[in-house]
Amino acid sequence: MKGMLQYVHGTTVLHRLPPLCKLGLAVLLSALCFATGNLLLLALLIGGSVALGALAGIGKQTLRTLLGLCKFSSILFLLQVFFISEGRVLLALPLGLAVTVEGIVFSARLCLRLIGATLPLTVMLAVTRLPDLTRALERTLRVPYRYAFALSTAIRFIPILARDFSAVVEAQTARGVELDGNLLRRVRLLLPLCVPLLVSSVRRIESAALSAELRGFHLRAQRREFR
Amino acid sequence: MIRMQNAGFAYDGRTVLRGLNLHIRPGEFVAVAGPNGAGKTSFAKLLNGLNRPTEGEVFVDGLDTRRARVSALSRSVGFLFQNPDRQLCRTTVREELLFGLRLHVRDEAEAARRLERALADFALDPEENPLTAARAERQRIALASVVALGPRLLVLDEPTTGLSHAECRRTMEIVRRLHREGTTVVLISHDMELILRYAERMLVLAGGTLRADGAPHDVLRRADVLAEAALLPPEIVQVASALGEPFAGLDTDAALAQALIEARASAAG
Repeated sequence: MKGMLQYVHGTTVLHRLPPLCKLGLAVLLSALCFATGNLLLLALLIGGSVALGALAGIGKQTLRTLLGLCKFSSILFLLQVFFISEGRVLLALPLGLAVTVEGIVFSARLCLRLIGATLPLTVMLAVTRLPDLTRALERTLRVPYRYAFALSTAIRFIPILARDFSAVVEAQTARGVELDGNLLRRVRLLLPLCVPLLVSSVRRIESAALSAELRGFHLRAQRREFR
Repeated sequence: MIRMQNAGFAYDGRTVLRGLNLHIRPGEFVAVAGPNGAGKTSFAKLLNGLNRPTEGEVFVDGLDTRRARVSALSRSVGFLFQNPDRQLCRTTVREELLFGLRLHVRDEAEAARRLERALADFALDPEENPLTAARAERQRIALASVVALGPRLLVLDEPTTGLSHAECRRTMEIVRRLHREGTTVVLISHDMELILRYAERMLVLAGGTLRADGAPHDVLRRADVLAEAALLPPEIVQVASALGEPFAGLDTDAALAQALIEARASAAG
């Protein structure tokens, strides 16, 4: 998921749209995914997000994100599908588990909703500069500066976290950790790796907060409240 | 120990390293220097399979890194990352060291023996939390966790970044001792004084190619290489060169001071 949630420079129509229009469109597409349970419509909404990505000249990146989301969703699908026992049984399994038609439809809907709600937001963030979004939230929607800043900082941290996690995985692989094999084994090996990631994130956030404070962040937040 | 034949590495369609031909023998202490973006870290990662050559071939301890798994290479290659926080993942030093040992050593008694030796060698408190230790301490714990595995090749990526002079010296003395015990060392560093003091051989990378390969005191006198790789020789080398013959070849404070005293005495006599 390299490059996910990072701005990609461009001059397309989507790039030129006001930030709040893009945010509104993304939220609308996401909301539609929760408003409908129709699998075909959900698939069409995902297709629409991919088309928007292509229109913005980030088709490949959008497909990469879609692939990443599909991988994640497939795990979710497998976890869901075996634990729903209502409906017509297609495959009976030991320990009272079963694969049912209802289970498959429910799991597919859940996964398509997850993908359909996430994808437009990633496209929106790839065609919107974060400072523009922060400014729009602050000036047009009257979101207090500190909250707009916190939101944009949190978004900015996601690709950094992803990069840090890759580096941690790389470091542990170099020590002999084999991150392949079955899912349980992988989860067992990956869990301790979250510790250095968490520690470095806390350190990074702490220094970012201190740095903002030292550059007068509090003054700006205060002035804004007085207006 | 390491053999590269026309090795190159490209990433995201960008050539980072190309045309590398070199042979590093077991027991050598090799330093790799070069400007930022020269491909030093990419070079280091070619040695443990984290980067696989996109052209040519790289053999490490007889293993072809294009095919060998990183975990297989980790049996003979110990890699210390520039940022120790990426390596440390346990809440006590003992657990941290055992984390790698359990992956590599099947015999519990042998793992315990290696653990005790590493704790003693690096003067570490087994119950200390590595995640809250000071920067130099974290670097030492990370190095101990690598050394405990008994690698034949130790690759150190900027191991002294952020350390004080004393901490840097302490870390490098440990590395020197390991080298004397037979470990092959590849040190990536920006610090020319460090290279001059510890390394036997120096490679200079610039623009993704190997620009120089030789003894540090020779390489650090090649003006063309230094200019190309934007490297500044240590002050002692600059002073000795400025003094000209017979001082130009001297590269330690003691040797230069001795030569100056002798020159003054002979001039007075």
